Amino acid sequence: MIPKTDKQRRNLSDWSLRICVFVLFALSWQLSAQFMKNMLIPTFTETINGFIQLVFVTGRIWRPLYISNQALVLGYILSVAIAIPLGLAAGRVKWIDRILNPYIGVFLAIPIAPLIPIAITALGLGLASRVAIVFLFTFVFIAVNTRAGVRNVDPGLIEMAKSFGASERQIWHRIVIPGAVPAIFAGLRIGLGRAVAGMVIVELLLVASGLGRLLLEFAGRLQAEFVFATVLVVIVEALLLLSVMRFAEQKVAPWAHDSSIG
Amino acid sequence: MIQIRGLSKEFLGRDGADTGVLAIDSLNFEVRDNEFLTVIGPSGCGKTTLLRIIAGLIPFDEGEVQIDDVPVTGPGADRAVVFQNFALLPWADVLTNVAFGLEIRGASKSECEATAMRLVKLVGLEGFERRLPKELSGGMQQRVGLARALAVNPQILLMDEPFGALDEQTRRLLQEQLLRIWDQERKTVMFITHSMEEAVLLGDRVMLMTPRPGRVKEIIDVPLKRPRGQETEKSTTFVEIKEYLWENLRSMQVLDQRGEA
Repeated sequence: MIPKTDKQRRNLSDWSLRICVFVLFALSWQLSAQFMKNMLIPTFTETINGFIQLVFVTGRIWRPLYISNQALVLGYILSVAIAIPLGLAAGRVKWIDRILNPYIGVFLAIPIAPLIPIAITALGLGLASRVAIVFLFTFVFIAVNTRAGVRNVDPGLIEMAKSFGASERQIWHRIVIPGAVPAIFAGLRIGLGRAVAGMVIVELLLVASGLGRLLLEFAGRLQAEFVFATVLVVIVEALLLLSVMRFAEQKVAPWAHDSSIG
Repeated sequence: MIQIRGLSKEFLGRDGADTGVLAIDSLNFEVRDNEFLTVIGPSGCGKTTLLRIIAGLIPFDEGEVQIDDVPVTGPGADRAVVFQNFALLPWADVLTNVAFGLEIRGASKSECEATAMRLVKLVGLEGFERRLPKELSGGMQQRVGLARALAVNPQILLMDEPFGALDEQTRRLLQEQLLRIWDQERKTVMFITHSMEEAVLLGDRVMLMTPRPGRVKEIIDVPLKRPRGQETEKSTTFVEIKEYLWENLRSMQVLDQRGEA
């Protein structure tokens, strides 16, 4: 197809550039791994082969993937359900913000990994701990972004709505929430990345289940290509989820796609 | 009719009482029904504050603000504001933006649409109903702002330097369009500007304000016949009033600079 518009032309050149970079990356990986002959570093083709084995041939990935994703989905939903209302409230209501601010600071600063043993002591070795860790990894980033989004809503728009006699409820519905949507989506995307990380970390560190357990197993047997392939599965999943979210954002907030990151 | 008596407004400093700034000091004036009053003055004369008080957006300290003998306590259906920076919803198309005030006031969907369509036509934006604000030029955006204010059919139109952010050519076209529309849909208009030409071209009367604190220096009649247009600006009366305004504004600026030195 001959590109017609500037946008199509830009897309085409973007993609050819991306493919070039990828080929370069794969090639240097392949060559350096072959050259080093380190059995713990698989070549690019070995990794891809391992990926195909895990996903399509033996299908060993699916059960652990399912187990891990239970924690991911539940923890993430819990985060969103708590962080968005909290962020909205903190963004618009000054006294709530004053109360919450120090705690948000604490959660932003605190490293989550050391909390894993505490979560396990409190909640046991089951799903609950994993959900809690995913939640702790995620929610503060969604809350902070939501709050920032609300605070960045143009005060001129709020004044305009007031000049037409809008009630606080109408201001929320018609101005504050739509105005904050792009920042909320940015928070949701950052949160998603954190949630995937939290999901794997907790399984690696303490609650051996799901993908983390699979990774430990492969590593123990020195099956490096499967370790890499499992990581690749996590990356592919994260990318898929992010593009679903981008699609949702374009549906919900088509005016915002220019300013979003991730 | 807008009646202002002994109106004062002080902005408090950050640390409270004593450091306050007197933005407006005992103003007295009236805006007559269907009159076009332009307000001009150097920055710091409280003209925007005054407009926001009349719009019911901010409280005042002393005096009375009445519209047809009813005290202003907040925004009301009898008034609509056109903002300097347009204040359009960036996520909503032209039609939705124009219908915004109607929707807020609880008009039915069909009524919103019909009225919005009529006003889009009135301000000459047919064919742009489904465009987003960022796809429009500044002049077109302010026409949306004007249509939105007119859509609620207010008795009083409060315009806060509505053309201040536009380039000279666009500004002129919009002035002419505003005068045409005002001819069709008579409203009481209070129009804030810092352009002397604009003040004289549009106003039945020009209110000249002094800064720090904001006071009414003088209200000047503009006895130019309507409809006004390019020819108006060549008339001696127009030039004389403009010169008179400049003399006054210039002396205020000079005083101001001395005060700050």
